[in-house]
Amino acid sequence: MIKTWELDPNFKEEIMKERGGEHLTACFQCSTCTIGCPITEYVPSYNPRKIIQMSLLGMRKEVLSNPDLWVCLICQTCTARCPQDVRISDLLSAIRRIADKEAEAGNIKIDSSRPIFDKAFQHQLEKYGRLYDIGLAKEYYPKREGSFFKGMMAMMNDYKDFGMRMFKKGKMGPKAMFPEKVKDRAVMKKIFEEMGEK
Amino acid sequence: MSVTKLAYYPGCPSDATAIDQDMSTKAVFEKLGVELVEVEDWNCCGAAEVEEPELVYALNARNLAIAEKEGLDIVTPCSICYYNLERSNIALKADDKLRAKVKGIDSSLDYNGKIKAKHVLDVFVNDIGLEELSSKMSKKLNLKVAPYYGCYIGRPPETAFDDPDDPDSMDKLIELMGGEIVPFSQMKTFCCGGPLMMTRSDIAFEMARKILDTAKSAGADCIALACPLCGMMLDGKQADIEKALHVEIDMPVVYITQLLGLALGIDAKELGLNKNAVDTKEILGKVV
Ligand code: SF4
Ligand code: SF4
Repeated sequence: MIKTWELDPNFKEEIMKERGGEHLTACFQCSTCTIGCPITEYVPSYNPRKIIQMSLLGMRKEVLSNPDLWVCLICQTCTARCPQDVRISDLLSAIRRIADKEAEAGNIKIDSSRPIFDKAFQHQLEKYGRLYDIGLAKEYYPKREGSFFKGMMAMMNDYKDFGMRMFKKGKMGPKAMFPEKVKDRAVMKKIFEEMGEK
Repeated sequence: MSVTKLAYYPGCPSDATAIDQDMSTKAVFEKLGVELVEVEDWNCCGAAEVEEPELVYALNARNLAIAEKEGLDIVTPCSICYYNLERSNIALKADDKLRAKVKGIDSSLDYNGKIKAKHVLDVFVNDIGLEELSSKMSKKLNLKVAPYYGCYIGRPPETAFDDPDDPDSMDKLIELMGGEIVPFSQMKTFCCGGPLMMTRSDIAFEMARKILDTAKSAGADCIALACPLCGMMLDGKQADIEKALHVEIDMPVVYITQLLGLALGIDAKELGLNKNAVDTKEILGKVV
């Protein structure tokens, strides 16, 4: 049920101000995006058309706290098929960025580990300029599991077979223990300061 | 042939999980007489985890600017790197204000929009061309191949270099090498699940399994692909998928650069074919 007193008439504009969110109002609710989306097979509640409809109606809180936002693959299938050029893949990214800011501000809770993962990933780039897998895992797993010990157990569970397999094939040696770094790390820091999430 | 020299953007997995792709890419271009100059001190493209578009543009402005100084177009074997480099290129070219803002961060981000970013597959099929490639091939691949394209080759429209629903650049290349394409259209552009591997591995594994199963029931000797994240899911994680979902798959997965290398007569070891997680020996026996 829609409670009209909770609708936010400015939500549309808020999304359309974000890069990638500009085409929101072009949607004519045809469902092409949803029919072709690979995730719907695995997450039956997943419905990008509905997320757009709810956004247009101003159901800000419901949209921003919907955990389905965080299972989008950014695969661009929807974008390629949309007859209205809504750019849904980019649009969902714009909505996720607003959700993330609201969660950081303590206004909503996000029921997904994806924001933790994305941030841990970005921290590697900010520090080293390249992806450092071990640094990423060491930040991600403990934060996801809520403790260092549980995090290390979860990481072992996911990686022990894989790590051994890669090691045997000569794809992960002692070198992988240490980060690859770009020489100009000062510029990485500046890029994140200027363009990163504030 | 018009291409003689390109800037090479290897991408982060190039010295670890996708070292086989990196080795085969370098070996193939050398054999084709195209010089690769690595983008000096390149940084990560942002992958799928950096969602802020302006951050992606700034990160890639640096890579683009380095190649631009050399006067070279960039080539990369990774579909996500390609997507991020080229969408940044398009955004920066179109928007003076954005370019000025990015340049304001640091002078090393001063990019003037003079080059292009390209995917290796695009360079092989559309720049070098099938005729030229064919003239350099010395071996025939007696292989049944499932060509897997994944996400960023045929979409989104502004960076795509192939059809969104039925891409065929890899098909053409494989047929040119003597390979046979197995029926695989419905899986060609289905996402491998990679972006969810660390946060929803249950979904990611099911998606990858669907691709692997389809290739298997189509009778493929191997899957050919052109992205290290797809390679990680379908090859690197295949044994984990088998274990988690209680299935047996055993489907070799190779990079298109490895197949092309074989057809060009390059030694299998030099192409890293002893490094793919699923054994490739049976494939090698069918190269004559
Ligand atoms: S395909 Fe485009 S127009 Fe149709 S519902 Fe989805 S976003 Fe709206
Ligand atoms: S980008 Fe997201 S919403 Fe669009 S088709 Fe892919 S998974 Fe579905």
